[in-house]
Amino acid sequence: MEIQISDHKRVSVVAITGRVDGSTAGEFESALTTLTDEGKNNLVLDMSEVDFVSSAGLRVLVNTRKAVNSAGGKIVLAEPSQQVIETLDIAGLDVLFEQFKDRETAIGTF
Amino acid sequence: MALSKHIMTDHRLTIEGRFDQVASVGDLVESIARDAGFESRDQYALQLAVCEALENIITHGYQGESTNLIEAQVNANPGEVRIELWDDAPPFNPKNNSNDIEWNEDDPPVGGLGLKIMYKVMDEIRYKRVGDRNFLTMLKRLPPEVTDPGE
Repeated sequence: MEIQISDHKRVSVVAITGRVDGSTAGEFESALTTLTDEGKNNLVLDMSEVDFVSSAGLRVLVNTRKAVNSAGGKIVLAEPSQQVIETLDIAGLDVLFEQFKDRETAIGTF
Repeated sequence: MALSKHIMTDHRLTIEGRFDQVASVGDLVESIARDAGFESRDQYALQLAVCEALENIITHGYQGESTNLIEAQVNANPGEVRIELWDDAPPFNPKNNSNDIEWNEDDPPVGGLGLKIMYKVMDEIRYKRVGDRNFLTMLKRLPPEVTDPGE
């Protein structure tokens, strides 16, 4: 898994590549916690290059959503891969995360 | 990694109870599901379900990563994929720990997601304690239209 973070005017974009599972969820959570600890609570997660996500990854998404929501922010998904969509759907958590067709559209909602 | 090449024999794979080993079994299951005629969506779902089962064994059975072993056997029978997992952890029947409680968007669940995914994906999950080992069988059948003998 690789994580790239870019800061925009009102939002931070987190681009994740590869596999988000029990072996990488800790690193994923650390990256997101670092952002929220810095007060960056508007997050776009570009998940177009995620080829597998397990419940360990979903837990990070749900925990981050709770953190940013309680701070008045928002987390959305940009161009989630079919694998991300399917895991969210199977777990019944798809309703929690707004999904946008691309990164620019997602950024534009903030 | 090289492990799968070394000890995979006839759809059997033994891994250590470490998270970075889980993907090798997931890849095996996905490959066998593809050969068995499952569509790509179900191939991924099967891969996901077995990875959830393995991560549960590591997290809850072995109480974290270790060198304890997990044995996987994956078979494609006509119209179905059967996954069997053996581990040496204390007894753990997933059925006794699965739940599907009501939740709302303000308080979504973070626990039990792996079991929920396993039961959503698989058609049948059976657990047996055999001696000092846990034996989990997970079964998914091809949809009827795929197994229609008219093909």
